Amino acid sequence: MSPQSLLRQYLLEHKWGYLLSTLAIIASEFINVQFPNILGRFTDALSAHRLTYHSVAVYALLLLAVGVVYVFFYAIGQSQNGRAARRFEYLLRLRLFEHWELLSAEYFRRRSIGDLLNHAMNDVQQVREALSGGFNILTNAIFLMLATLIMTFATVSWKLTLLSMIPLVFIPFFIVWMGPQVRNSSRKVQEALSSMSELAEESFTSIRLIKATANEDVESARFERRVDQIVGEQISLFRKSATFQSVIPTASSLSFAIALLYGGWMALTKQIPLGSFVAFTFYLGQLAIPLQQIGMVINNFQRASASLIRLQVLLDEKPGISDPSEPVTVDAIHGDIRVDLDSFQYADGTVAALHDVHFHLRPGQTLGIVGRTGSGKTTLVNLLPRIFDPPPDSVFLDGHDIRSLPLKTLRESIAYVPQDGFLFSATVRENIAFGDADASEDAIERVAKAASIYDDIMEFPDGFDTLIGERGVALSGGQRQRTAIARAFLKQAPILVMDDSLSAVDMETEKRILQGLEDVRKSRTTIIIAHRLSAVRHADWILVMDDGTVVEQGTHQDLLNQNGLYATIYAMQEKGEASAS
Amino acid sequence: MSTKESPVRPKPGVSSLGRLLPFARPYVWQFIAVIALVIVFNTSSVMQPYLVKVAIDNDISTNHPNMHGLVVIAAIYVGVVVIGVAANYMQIMVLQRAGQSVIRSIRLALFRHIERQAMRFFDSRPIGTLVANVSNDTETVSQFFTNFFLSLIRDGLSIVMIVFAMFRLDPRIACYAMILVPIIAGVSAAFRGQLRRRYQRTRTLLSSMIAFLAENLAGMRLTQIFHQEKRQRAAFERLDAQYRDANITEYFTSMWFNRTLELLGNVAVSAVVFIGGNAVLHDAIKFGTLYAFIRYIQQFFQPINAMTQQWNTLQSAVVAADRIGQILQHEPEIQDKAETARVDLDAIQGRVEFEHVTFGYKPDQPVLRDISFTVEPGQFIGVVGATGAGKSSVMGLLTRFYEPQEGIITLDRIPIWDYSQRDLHALIGIVQQDVSLFTGTVRDNIRLFREEIPDEVVREAARVVGADGVIERLIHGFDTQLYGKGSNLSAGERQLISFARIVALNPKVLILDEATASLDSHTEALVQKGLQAVTENRTTLVIAHRLSTIRHADQILVFDKGRLVERGTHAELVAQGGLYAKLDAESGIESRVIS
Repeated sequence: MSPQSLLRQYLLEHKWGYLLSTLAIIASEFINVQFPNILGRFTDALSAHRLTYHSVAVYALLLLAVGVVYVFFYAIGQSQNGRAARRFEYLLRLRLFEHWELLSAEYFRRRSIGDLLNHAMNDVQQVREALSGGFNILTNAIFLMLATLIMTFATVSWKLTLLSMIPLVFIPFFIVWMGPQVRNSSRKVQEALSSMSELAEESFTSIRLIKATANEDVESARFERRVDQIVGEQISLFRKSATFQSVIPTASSLSFAIALLYGGWMALTKQIPLGSFVAFTFYLGQLAIPLQQIGMVINNFQRASASLIRLQVLLDEKPGISDPSEPVTVDAIHGDIRVDLDSFQYADGTVAALHDVHFHLRPGQTLGIVGRTGSGKTTLVNLLPRIFDPPPDSVFLDGHDIRSLPLKTLRESIAYVPQDGFLFSATVRENIAFGDADASEDAIERVAKAASIYDDIMEFPDGFDTLIGERGVALSGGQRQRTAIARAFLKQAPILVMDDSLSAVDMETEKRILQGLEDVRKSRTTIIIAHRLSAVRHADWILVMDDGTVVEQGTHQDLLNQNGLYATIYAMQEKGEASAS
Repeated sequence: MSTKESPVRPKPGVSSLGRLLPFARPYVWQFIAVIALVIVFNTSSVMQPYLVKVAIDNDISTNHPNMHGLVVIAAIYVGVVVIGVAANYMQIMVLQRAGQSVIRSIRLALFRHIERQAMRFFDSRPIGTLVANVSNDTETVSQFFTNFFLSLIRDGLSIVMIVFAMFRLDPRIACYAMILVPIIAGVSAAFRGQLRRRYQRTRTLLSSMIAFLAENLAGMRLTQIFHQEKRQRAAFERLDAQYRDANITEYFTSMWFNRTLELLGNVAVSAVVFIGGNAVLHDAIKFGTLYAFIRYIQQFFQPINAMTQQWNTLQSAVVAADRIGQILQHEPEIQDKAETARVDLDAIQGRVEFEHVTFGYKPDQPVLRDISFTVEPGQFIGVVGATGAGKSSVMGLLTRFYEPQEGIITLDRIPIWDYSQRDLHALIGIVQQDVSLFTGTVRDNIRLFREEIPDEVVREAARVVGADGVIERLIHGFDTQLYGKGSNLSAGERQLISFARIVALNPKVLILDEATASLDSHTEALVQKGLQAVTENRTTLVIAHRLSTIRHADQILVFDKGRLVERGTHAELVAQGGLYAKLDAESGIESRVIS
């Protein structure tokens, strides 16, 4: 659903709340304008010497009542709008998150996370601001102005009102014109500030070099230029905001002077009573506010609608990979994998990332994949769980094209260890049990042992309850990988994919993990991507990849006999191992 | 670290801001001008209701209405407002210019002071903290010199002037009005505390939501493979809802704060009408006076509220000023002597001698013990040993980043602490393992932004080390911008630029600190030529990672656990059959495998 229609629907669903808040604000403003009116009548009564102690008290109480009731009504409107806007903000952000969960890796490849966060935070907040403050102010401005005009027309003089308003009507235009300039200036100040911080960081990081080359003065001259830039931008910002702060009171006071002159003349020639004149000076103050507000609201709405459009574009992105329209239902996946791929190309790519890959893996077999960085190993295994979508009829699981299986069935049948050992900022336990929140304590410990991470975990301050990530314990690369392996082991899936997930563990641990794997391997189809051949030499079948295609395949012995790339790498690594030990 | 050293240090007080006042002294006239301008502006604000009062009492509501007087009053009114606005404009510009200049001086002083510190200062402080001191803390302090100062003057004077005007008009009613002062201040203070707490809670929840979102966007692939979309969505929903609720609470608090002040204002006006109305009734005051009172009461709220707001500014400014002050008070551990040796830099030969040098980063844990050696001008010296044997400390001492506890280090027979640091560092150059590159062009990175080094020298330096080919292949050659500390270059290219830099700066003594350790064998071959060019005609100390780089050294120093255990040429040391011979035997296998 688009943000516009989401907004429309939200407003419709909450129409009674919005009606209430609008009515409350309207009521509050019509009450508010009684304030000058009462003061005016009080003045008239006073100057006519019609007042008694009792009636003074009545006027004072009337003013008090107006003051209290106005504040009360306005608060009702304001709180309803503020709450509703924040609830919409919540919905919109949740909607974004749900949408992102549907989008494929293809999409995230093209986006920076910072950019996406910007949408989820700033754009959503911008919409909320328009809906909360903007809505309040707009309703308030319109009806305060309306109420004031009605009151002044009815009780004072329409000629006096219109004449006095002349300088005020320029205020909204001025704000709409000036507002973006002030915003632009303040953005430049921010940029100058961060440019200075960057330089300071660069300098302090390189302090050894700067000292060793006696370059302190050159460096501080560079710093000085950035600081001067800030001063320049700040002054330009202040010049604009000072103009802002000068023009508005000048316009207000001009209009007050007109009221004083013309209204005073009317009062002294008895065209209007003194009370009306007094009341009018207060009304004028009330008129200036909504005119300023209208200018601000226009700016606010402009920004919000730009944000809404950006969110629209974001939510219009169609999920690249979804369930087939007529999924094949299967009871159990056995893990027979057949790849018959002629060519695969990334949506944003210009050349095929993979071509001519053909192999067949029976249930329970192990496949090893080796090759240089960038040879297409990861791309190949990413096709299997449809992280990237293969062309139709090129990847088969148990004889079915994977594109015809329900995503749930497909992905539940694959346990995957990513290359980077990605973990969440949660406890060790939560990370291992990521695929199955109900896993038993025993199961978690068992897989931790199988992945050779158990002893490490026991050394952490809180064992399995240790928080990892920025706010907790920082794991080494090897520990991350082994935790990710435990996580994949826990998922009782017929297929296990390990994408170069042993690169950061030492040879000894690698051996132990592979042995642990041996026990479960029998029942699982396993794919291991590795740099070290020791991790794949016992595999049933080995693919050697280069430049997006399979250049050699066979068993370890076959490949050695072929005396090709595999044999060369093997020879080099054997020697390396021999000399290292 | 300083925070650990002094847990009993008194809490930062306003005096910490006082220590920064000298930076403001040159602008004292500007600040005085601001006070004068504020007085003009405030007078204009206070006069406006008074002028209306005069118009009402003298011209409109009298037995002899006076149109001429009304015109005069209206003209004066406009004049007063224009003068007020002009004064306000000038006040903003003068104050901000002065405030910005003060902050500029503080920033520069702070940056230069940090640069002058010895290495030990940087060892114990995270870079991020120092950057925050220079950028954020100074920014916070600038709030003090502008917003706080202004509020104190403008709002303080407003209150005084309004009170004064009210007492002039009618002391009795004015006395009643004074009841408002503690009420407004109390309500503001109470709400401010609440507001700050709620605001902080909202911020905390917002940042944990951002963190969750950032992590989940990065790990979305994993969530999808493990089919945990529902679970992650539920987790996000919880954070989103928590933030929503906190935000609504914060919004309500701030709304009720504003409404309460408004309510108080309305109550106050009705009280004035009651009290003043009766006074008019008894002819104690004229109606115009009551009118002015109502206006003044309305004007009364803004400055009191604004001043309580500044309380927060003051608190954070004090904390920031304290952090800045602590750095400025920290005298650099290593400073030039009052009388430094006057040397002709060109005449320096480059003879280096260590005499019985003992050094530890902590005085009781020496990492170098009783080290003595001599390097003759132009010699090529290798320094070897296991990690932690003390090799790098030799470099730190020779460059005077640290000072030894015992012993003497000389350059051309003059102790290095008799040189000015500027001269010493012009004479001694280093090339480090991780190359420091700056945001700027390749040219500026080679000449380190020194305008006095001409383009020909830069190009020649690049040519000598064999970097010219690499640089010419970049999009804009020597004008190519390097971003993010040179992440658009390969490790080998970065190292070549640092070699070119050394040639351009032309020091007499050169220290290479494991300069090629992180390079693969292909890249190492690429920079080898540059390395040779750099070491020619200079005294060179190589802190070696691979023995192959120093095999042909004039002398090899072997360090073990802080002691100099062997010295001699490669052949001599191998013949000795000691530690070096053992290291050499091991590395033999290593180098054969690599090549």
